[in-house]
Amino acid sequence: MSAGSEKIIMAVPKGRVLGEILEVLRAAGIVPEPAFEDSQSRQLRFTTSVAAIDLIRVRSFDVATFVAFGAAQMGVAGNDVLMEFDYAEIYAPLDLGIGVCHLAVAEPAEMVAGDDPARWSHVRIATKYPNISRRHFAARGVQAECIKLNGAMELAPSLGLCRRIVDLVQTGATLKANGLVEVEKIADVTSRLVVNRAALKTLPREVGGWVQRFQEIVNGAAA
Amino acid sequence: MEIKAAKALLPAGLGDELPPRAGFEAAVIERLLAVFAGYGYERVKPPLVEFEDSLLSGPGAALTAQTFRLMDPQSHRMMGVRPDMTGQVARIAATRLAAAPRPLRLSYAGEVLHVHGTQLRPERQFVQAGFELIGGYSLEGDAEVITVVAEALQLVGVKTLSLDLALPTFVPAVCRGLGLDAEDAEIARDLLDRKDATALLRFGEPAGSVLKTILRAAGPADTARARLRELDLEGEAAQLRNDLGDLLVHLESRAGHLTLTVDPGEFRGFEYQTGTSFTIFSRGVRGELGRGGRYRLENGEPAVGVTIYLDTLLRAVPEAASGESVFLPFGAPPEAGHELRADGWRTVAGLSATDDDGAEAERLNCTHVLRDGKPRELS
Repeated sequence: MSAGSEKIIMAVPKGRVLGEILEVLRAAGIVPEPAFEDSQSRQLRFTTSVAAIDLIRVRSFDVATFVAFGAAQMGVAGNDVLMEFDYAEIYAPLDLGIGVCHLAVAEPAEMVAGDDPARWSHVRIATKYPNISRRHFAARGVQAECIKLNGAMELAPSLGLCRRIVDLVQTGATLKANGLVEVEKIADVTSRLVVNRAALKTLPREVGGWVQRFQEIVNGAAA
Repeated sequence: MEIKAAKALLPAGLGDELPPRAGFEAAVIERLLAVFAGYGYERVKPPLVEFEDSLLSGPGAALTAQTFRLMDPQSHRMMGVRPDMTGQVARIAATRLAAAPRPLRLSYAGEVLHVHGTQLRPERQFVQAGFELIGGYSLEGDAEVITVVAEALQLVGVKTLSLDLALPTFVPAVCRGLGLDAEDAEIARDLLDRKDATALLRFGEPAGSVLKTILRAAGPADTARARLRELDLEGEAAQLRNDLGDLLVHLESRAGHLTLTVDPGEFRGFEYQTGTSFTIFSRGVRGELGRGGRYRLENGEPAVGVTIYLDTLLRAVPEAASGESVFLPFGAPPEAGHELRADGWRTVAGLSATDDDGAEAERLNCTHVLRDGKPRELS
């Protein structure tokens, strides 16, 4: 085994939570090389101030996939992503308490008055989360037909793709701007530190040590 | 061309193994079995298919959903294709070999078939190899199984072996001691299995701090042992913890090269285990190399065993170099071939005369050619 493969790869998601994640990493003493912040850079893998840790920046759903397959040993992923995939190979030992939002069902404002969610038997849903949506509705005895979209769910009701969506809600501003109203909350979402199961077992001191380090930071922030 | 491609397509999760990999897999299986046999584990060979009710009772019950079924046209009874061999070996031990002296040591290797692949293991058919020690629980028995399997894996070339010890009945026993009801106990077990510290906060005291200590105990063996010792336990839970502690001491003295970790909350995949269990990993290799532990035969007889998954194992061992072989040009005397094979060479005979024996040897992937009665290396 080459020395390079002993490195711990940490996958972080692009997008809205990245800034908060970088703050937590900085508190743990992990500062990515300058190219990480350079929007012109085509680089995908970055060294950090800690020689043993490299960062990769991928889509939030791909963080779970990289960690589940052991291509990355650690990562940061929202529990929305973890619930959607439900990989047995991922441990989520730590809630970082950042990226706070929730998953909810929403529908057009003009529909709400005449709609009683308790009477649904079949719903059609546009969502990035078909598994979570199906499970959520099945638990309520409602059959859900899911249309998988990768973004801009809020457009679906106004264009007649389907009437309801399941999506992440942070402030509710996007829903409002598109004439949608939240009708049901599915789950609270925060970012979790995730680790690959085999990596935690085969590198217990290294990976376990970092989990503990992040735990101390989270405890410190809460105190 | 199109007919050829359609014939080549196999059902999802099934594949052809080609040279040199197919031969390499067979060689690895043989070497594992030779180590098991060296410690007195004798080979048994159950059938590929058997009646569903015997296949899926006892240790096999956890794999009901993974079993292909077919109707036996002779008896009109439902049969299942084995999804795992442990249950079959347990059946043999409990029936045909019920009167054989204990402890009974049996080994096996064979193909198993699953209904579903997973994203991490898309293969639906793979080979298991393992052995079972039947007729009593003891520290010595657990330690024998672990040291023998570790020796076999190292012999076939696995570096950096890690052994993760689990106690699947520990959390339920602790929950009973804390007076949690069945539903809460199941939730606690699942959350510990997933290492979900956040969701564990729902438990009040004193259960909350006990469960959190169990969660924090997961890790290197020495810290795990120290943290578990902090817990104030009694009855079955205390017994399980003490057994684990004894086993760790034993393994550290006898198998010091193993990386030992402990995960007292691990449960998935150990549904039929009744005591100390373990999972084998290798650094940098996706998935588990194997798993094992204590369980009970259907008649209640205690046993401990281990199973190796060959698909994962082959990812953990260095690919064998395809060996050397000698090309015997057309018309070479048969005795020359006999002699070379007796010396351990592999020979590839030319079946018709060629102009250039060297080029023909190269075309057939030989490394040597027989010239003047001697194997000469191709340049």
